[in-house]
Amino acid sequence: MRFNDLVSGAILIVVAVIVIILTLRFPEFPGQNYGPAVFPRLLAGLLILCGLVMVIRGFTAWRAGEPLAVVPSWARDPANIVSALLVILAALAYIFLLDTVGFVPLTLVVLLVLFLWFKVRVPVAVVTALVAAFGINWFFASMMRVPLPRGLMDWIL
Amino acid sequence: MTDFTRRHLMVTAAGVGLASQLAAPAIAQTFPVRPITLVVPWGAGGGTDATARIVGSLMEKEFGQPVNVVNRTGGSGVVGHSAIATGAADGYTIGMITVEITMMHWQGLTQLNPDSYTPLALMNEDPPGVQVSASSPYKDLKALADAIKANPGRLKASGTGQGGIWHLALVGWLGAMGLPASAVPWVPSNGAAPAMQDLAAGGIDIVTCSVPEAKAMLDAGRAKSLAIMAAARNPQFADVPTLKEAIGVDYTVGAWRGIAAPKNLPAPIAERYTSVLKKINESKEFRDFMAARGFGVKWADAAGFAKFMADGNASMGVAMKAAGLARSA
Amino acid sequence: MTVDILLQAFALVFRWDVILIIIASGLFGMFVGAMPGLTATMATALLIPVTFFMDPVPALGAIVTATAMAIFAGDIPAAMLRMPGTPASAAYTDESYLMGRKGQLDLNLGTNLVTSVLGGLIGVAILVLAAPALAEFALAFSSFEYFWLAALGLTCAVFLATNDPLKGFASLFLGLGLGTIGIDPAAGFPRFTFGTVELMQGVSFIPAMIGMFAISELLRGVTSMQGSGEVVLQQVGNVFKGVGGVLRRYWVNFLRGSGIGVVIGALPGAGADIAAWVSYAVSKRFSKEPQKFGTGHVEGIVDAGAANNSAIAAAWIPALVFGIPGDSITAIVIGVLYMKGMNPGPTVFLQNPQLIYAVFMIFVLANLLMLPLGWAIIKSAKQVLRVPKNILLPMILIFCVVGSYAMTNSVYGIIIMLVLGIFAFMLEENGFPIAPVILGLVLGEMFEQNFITSMIKSDGSFLAFFARPIAGILGVATIAIWLIMLWRMGPWSKARPAAV
Repeated sequence: MRFNDLVSGAILIVVAVIVIILTLRFPEFPGQNYGPAVFPRLLAGLLILCGLVMVIRGFTAWRAGEPLAVVPSWARDPANIVSALLVILAALAYIFLLDTVGFVPLTLVVLLVLFLWFKVRVPVAVVTALVAAFGINWFFASMMRVPLPRGLMDWIL
Repeated sequence: MTDFTRRHLMVTAAGVGLASQLAAPAIAQTFPVRPITLVVPWGAGGGTDATARIVGSLMEKEFGQPVNVVNRTGGSGVVGHSAIATGAADGYTIGMITVEITMMHWQGLTQLNPDSYTPLALMNEDPPGVQVSASSPYKDLKALADAIKANPGRLKASGTGQGGIWHLALVGWLGAMGLPASAVPWVPSNGAAPAMQDLAAGGIDIVTCSVPEAKAMLDAGRAKSLAIMAAARNPQFADVPTLKEAIGVDYTVGAWRGIAAPKNLPAPIAERYTSVLKKINESKEFRDFMAARGFGVKWADAAGFAKFMADGNASMGVAMKAAGLARSA
Repeated sequence: MTVDILLQAFALVFRWDVILIIIASGLFGMFVGAMPGLTATMATALLIPVTFFMDPVPALGAIVTATAMAIFAGDIPAAMLRMPGTPASAAYTDESYLMGRKGQLDLNLGTNLVTSVLGGLIGVAILVLAAPALAEFALAFSSFEYFWLAALGLTCAVFLATNDPLKGFASLFLGLGLGTIGIDPAAGFPRFTFGTVELMQGVSFIPAMIGMFAISELLRGVTSMQGSGEVVLQQVGNVFKGVGGVLRRYWVNFLRGSGIGVVIGALPGAGADIAAWVSYAVSKRFSKEPQKFGTGHVEGIVDAGAANNSAIAAAWIPALVFGIPGDSITAIVIGVLYMKGMNPGPTVFLQNPQLIYAVFMIFVLANLLMLPLGWAIIKSAKQVLRVPKNILLPMILIFCVVGSYAMTNSVYGIIIMLVLGIFAFMLEENGFPIAPVILGLVLGEMFEQNFITSMIKSDGSFLAFFARPIAGILGVATIAIWLIMLWRMGPWSKARPAAV
């Protein structure tokens, strides 16, 4: 979504106001005028200023006929939206499943799904996913000792 | 594939063992069957990291399994301490907990306290020194103490963040001299190294941090250590007197590091750890390493460590309330 | 005596096992640096357990070589994919990428390589010759000076904002705002954490960088992939062609960039990333043709490419002399120095001079080795990037995940990466530049902490910010720059430049 500055500016203002409301609960710094709330409030104030100017600018453009939001060209093709969602879903899969499933099995699945969606030929996809999952795990977990979760691997290897 | 069967069987055996109290000693005999994770709540390259790595490497030799040191940093130590407390109590996640565990919950940063763990062993304790710049007009602690009494609030001190251990050390020392915490305002810093730099640059007057942390600046002749808040002198810095020797104030405090596991670790595994850690604590490699860094070696077994933390926790509570640093969660 | 020490150092370095470790860690550094998602700091952190069991010289040699290579190699994916391999390349990623689009990929990579090598060598030369004197200068910096330094750094954002200064400022404030999440640097109060433990560690910078550059670019990549999506790659020919001419034309830029790199690198807490931002901004400010910046112009790359590599060696100055880290890499190096019994401090030159000189030799060696290794990696990067996009992009995603995970040792790093990746994608879609967000994230804590601690020290008096000589000069300079910029941006200025 590509928004008119009227919308972007309004979002900035809303975010800044929420920040200011949150800082109301911050404690004072004992014996100091400048506590934890000062810097966030200053930033929020500056953001509101930027937001206001953008709203005015966007309003003028809107009156001149610019729409409030445009769907960018890439988003008109549903396949592209699925591609973007798949990348996000892949990262989400790591966030929620990495500790239980483990790095190697999860990487195999994620790579296979992505490869197949992007129309990589099946044999190439399978071989690349296998080599990548085990290779990366060998290098980072075994050689460099990054504590990549083993998950299901505890029962296999 | 032989590896597959062997490991599989052993893991299964361990699982069955956990389920049955009768088979418990069997776990201790086979433990560990896979790599151990040693969580460190502080960053790579620091003192806690170094201590954990030497303990980890010696443990690796004892156990014959890899011990992976994993830094879980941030949140003034809350992140790492909570990672240790919430780990699986199967002996494969342990961690190095530090003095902050007796402090953070008073500040309202976390609910975690010493009771959230199975204590295994206390390995180290370092007392803070009172450091001033080499160009400071105060040649000894008495002159510094007199200056603080004469002009409360004028001299500024640093060494760690607000409410950190070295801040408490300053407040405790001032309290022992009968002065309020406001006599020397605290300038929060991002650790001891930036504080020592600020001291050398003339931005602050006093740094309370451990002597090993100040060592590079002391060696460079940029700072001098006037006293340490310990019962006895540090053999590495034999010419630095104790508080009691310098001004007759009997106040000691220290930052300590120990090994602990998540709560409810099966007793046989805990005992195995404590005996291995005792061997490490007494080993020449560990002693030499700690001496080279100027770190103090201290030992307490599981029960002793638990009592040590309980005592420290109570006195920290008193000190932090007195300093106005305590907050409810 | 000195010759004797040099000979001893020589004997320590020129052993087949040490040389092998150097070459291996050089390749490791090149790989890590060239892979979006893996960074130089990560390379150092990963080397710790490996170096734990090595002798001091190979251990430090491995770190020196890997980081030098990684900082250069970060330029390669920046130019080819618009994803900086390391944060130190972020300042001129767009410029490099646009040069590639204009068909000047060879010239860009060649310039990056040669300025990296030469800048690195200048950094080493100064480390060897002037370490004590420069450490002295850096040591005079207290929170007042650091406050002004951070303020000066933030003004760079203005030069970075392209055609819409307003959105540039909004981006900067958003970045600074993201930096306030977590334990606040003054009172130790957890801000905007909503009661979660993980958010108390704040927005970790490196996963954030990976997300904002690599993930957002990845999203753009997969949404523009038609069919099998072959990569449109410029031919990599002779990377050294034309570099001599660039250097002859911009030798002043090269020296200035190296100089800025050394000074900023030597300042505790700054480092190669900030050195690159500042030198790029300075280059644009003093250029005869500032309008060409941001269109794929080589000038700023000469400055910044030299600056980030000279900063690496310079960061060792305060680390070696005072045990104070110059950047996130030397913070880890100090631990290794202690571990190897080479306690940092001026005595390090007295107790084990042969070890220190051996490390210096490795520094020189590493920078010389960068030339052939860098050439080889540029050549093979072309092969790697010829891999069809539909295989390459999912692989980069996996590396981003691993890199983010390794920085926090938990999935929290992946969360930061994903959230900020989507955030950056939305920002760019709506015309907000990304670079100021990163700058705000880097400098926010330094700015706030030094402001608050300075106010505590001065008992609330603003005059103290000008009371110390260096602070006074920096302060007046910063305010003067702001005033001039405001004057130029005002409606009364006739010659308002298109890109402020």
